[in-house]
Amino acid sequence: MKRITAIMLVLAMAVSLLAGCGKKESDDGVIRVWVGEESAEFYQKIGDEYVAAHSDFGYKIEVKGMDTGSIAGTITNDPTAAADIYTVAHDNIGKLASTQCAKPIMDETLIAQVKADNPASFQKVIYSTLNDKSYLYGVPYISQALFMYYNKELVTEEQAKTFEGLQEAAKAAGTKAITVTGDDGYNMSFALLATNANDHSTTVKIFEGAESVSGGAKGESNCQGDDTVAIFRWLQAFAEDPNGFKWASPDGWDADLDKDNKGVLAVIGGAWHYNTAKAALGETNLGITLIPTFTLTDASVEGLSGVKAGDVYRGGTFADCKCFMINANSATTKYAKEQELILYLSSKEVQDASYLECLNVPAYVGAADYIKQCFEEGKVTESQYNLAAAQVSMAEWGIPQPFITGTLNTYYYSKNAPAVFRAVIDQTAYPTTGDVILQETTSLDGVRKALYLIEYLWMHGVTPKEFPAALPEKA
Amino acid sequence: MASNKNHAPKKNQEKTGLFEGLRKKCENFGKRFADGSLGTKLSHFIFGAGSFYHGQYVKGALFLLIQLGILAVMIFCPSINGTPYGWKALRNLPLNNVTEGGDFDPLTGQFTVGSDCKLMVLFGFVTIALIIIYFMVWNMNIQSSYQTDMDLKIGKKPNTFREDMRSLLDGKFHVLMLTPTCIAAAVFTILPTIFMIALAFTTYNSQDMNDLGTNLFHWNGLQNFRAVFTGEGSLGVEIKNRFMPVLGWTFLWAIFATLTCYFGGIILALLINKKGLKGKKVFRTIFIFTIAVPQFISLLAVRNLLGEYGPVNSLLQDWGITKEPIGFLGLHPSDSESLAKFMVILINMWVGIPYTMLMTSGILMNIPTDLYEAARVDGSSTMKMFFKITLPYVIFITTPYLISSFVGNINSFNTIFLLTGGGPTYTGYQAGGTDLLVTWLYKVTIDQGSYNTGAVIGIFTFLITATITLITYRRSKAYNEEDTFQ
Repeated sequence: MKRITAIMLVLAMAVSLLAGCGKKESDDGVIRVWVGEESAEFYQKIGDEYVAAHSDFGYKIEVKGMDTGSIAGTITNDPTAAADIYTVAHDNIGKLASTQCAKPIMDETLIAQVKADNPASFQKVIYSTLNDKSYLYGVPYISQALFMYYNKELVTEEQAKTFEGLQEAAKAAGTKAITVTGDDGYNMSFALLATNANDHSTTVKIFEGAESVSGGAKGESNCQGDDTVAIFRWLQAFAEDPNGFKWASPDGWDADLDKDNKGVLAVIGGAWHYNTAKAALGETNLGITLIPTFTLTDASVEGLSGVKAGDVYRGGTFADCKCFMINANSATTKYAKEQELILYLSSKEVQDASYLECLNVPAYVGAADYIKQCFEEGKVTESQYNLAAAQVSMAEWGIPQPFITGTLNTYYYSKNAPAVFRAVIDQTAYPTTGDVILQETTSLDGVRKALYLIEYLWMHGVTPKEFPAALPEKA
Repeated sequence: MASNKNHAPKKNQEKTGLFEGLRKKCENFGKRFADGSLGTKLSHFIFGAGSFYHGQYVKGALFLLIQLGILAVMIFCPSINGTPYGWKALRNLPLNNVTEGGDFDPLTGQFTVGSDCKLMVLFGFVTIALIIIYFMVWNMNIQSSYQTDMDLKIGKKPNTFREDMRSLLDGKFHVLMLTPTCIAAAVFTILPTIFMIALAFTTYNSQDMNDLGTNLFHWNGLQNFRAVFTGEGSLGVEIKNRFMPVLGWTFLWAIFATLTCYFGGIILALLINKKGLKGKKVFRTIFIFTIAVPQFISLLAVRNLLGEYGPVNSLLQDWGITKEPIGFLGLHPSDSESLAKFMVILINMWVGIPYTMLMTSGILMNIPTDLYEAARVDGSSTMKMFFKITLPYVIFITTPYLISSFVGNINSFNTIFLLTGGGPTYTGYQAGGTDLLVTWLYKVTIDQGSYNTGAVIGIFTFLITATITLITYRRSKAYNEEDTFQ
């Protein structure tokens, strides 16, 4: 019995030891690709077709669907276990590049295609520095921006064009007008990045002209221009109104939007919220349009010289792109073929096909024409068309999420800057307990100080020891 | 008092024993070298030399292999993901000479990988562990050779390798059984724990690491601990302002959650075991159903019931009792913290009481009936019998359970995380009104990537739970009078 027990024990130890043995990625004749779950089948088919048509390619392609929101985290945790090519939102490029999880793209043809096809706004955010040299890291192939879903049963098309119209509809329905899907820095962009409806202007700057975190300049940030102050004062009043803005319910923003609950009439969200919004309202009740405009009131501009009552602003968004990137741990012998494959997967033809099959909005310049053409030819439904058209239109009103080597936008998303926004909108002290930095965020001085605090957090990652006697003038 | 007096000399004996043992070991060491054979003397420098000298070739080869293997690792410093083991790992441990890396060769797509401080610390500790193992094996090989010398002196034939192996299946079977457990404990428990403790003395914080651009962090001494009082560092303000409130609530929660479930369970068990009650099995089964349903499902169901759009709030509003939904679980920042705290304790009773009920039922059925009969003969009332027999008996048996339940409640992640998510939240902080140390730890590490702060919270949690467990258990009757119930 003891002998058998001993043998079993040795076997168990051997198996557990072997189970822990990993194998680093080598050239096994397969190029593995991670894309969004909704697109995996499509890209597998496209990849197989490419291999069949190019006998000299020499590699098999294996596509796996992943949660694109968590791909970057998965890769940084264990880059050796990640695919050769993966897709992430562009704002992850800095982090993946600086942690040596991504390989620069050097193929001249691919670089030329990226330059020729993509808008200038995307081109600014797909490069990253490596030892002071700038390299192309991400190849855009999907465009995405925030827009608005609304309840068509209770809100007319005209009312959906302005926050005031939504408020009017909410008053009639006895509900709140609008909510957001989260109170993080990304979703708060609807207020922070609101731009003048006439000329698309804003004084907001986030790490503009930044170089590198590793000793480089952090660029310029501005969050306390008169327009931003006025916008947040307007939002404070809108949030105070019983039929105005509402933070998403802990039961979920979809519970708010649900046609039976009628918690809110509209929600600002992205394409990735489409199925949930459709489930909450039903396809026939689901309206999709741009983030509405709002008009600054007398109260919101009081004491400010850079803006005037009656100025119209449109809610803003980050206009982002998803990119293909190459894993730094992929076998170097695959490098050329990986770039060749990305050249094909990011081509206009494949992006168009991806829109038709997976509703991925193409990233290239002029995609709006193709989207319209598809609708006119009856290739997509009305709501599918609206979904893509709203994103393409909102992209014109937004800026890509800023980042530089080392993901400086971590400062934008963390260090409690989004929490200060929340304090401003709720008109509470900040923080709400313990050592209070800001006693109030209701007065003009309080709002400006809060916005100064946010700007300081973006730039320094810590709260200032004290507020300057006179805040820097940034009208 | 008598028992205390008895303990004191025992402790002194233990201390004397420890020093005596060390002294004897030192003496033995010198004696082994002086009295040992040439093989034993050589074993001090070449592992397995003594075994070879005595003709135990397989054993000798194994010792030598271990020596050469460890020395090879120490000298040649093999690396994983560019981070070396061996002497280089020891050199890297102070984290002084770290580089970002990143020299890129466009032709091959290869570039130099920068330092990974996380691996540097880990491999440094693994190397230290290897050095400790080296000296342990060194001692074993000398001891083995010397033992053989002694055996030969009394005319005993040295063991062959086969005989040594056979002894592992016989006289030393416990060694065979315990070795894998010890190795597993060292690799999967002790090493990660040491690593985690070490992180508390570093700047390993994903937000701060982005300042450096790569996987780089530094040792920063006691700064993370000082933050509890000074508010320094990345999450310093959070730690300073929220640590004491969270700690206080953690204790309050643990006390209430433990006592309500404990006494609730006892009362329920007494009711169900009451003589003359019909359908005892049915009642027991009903309560066991609550155990059969996975806890997280029960908790999420309750969360939905009490949610903003849940049936409870809908009914209250439909009946005109309330105009706005009540924030039972503190899910909105403006909700009442006190109500949320009360609700989690109340809901916890639903999931906790059946466990105590089940256990107490078993205990009640085993209380010797002659105790009750004797009490009845003496004219005791039912209440008196409960307080003098039933309750002391149950408490005596369940004290270890009570302590483990208290410690378990300090770390009760599920109940808080699934019901309130730690809310109501305070703007500007991770730790909300109902967050326990353990849920706060989760938020700090998983949501904020602040591993150093998380390690500090983890160490504090450990110190608190370990201290409470030790003190209460050692003072309990269940420990001091474990074989008797008077």
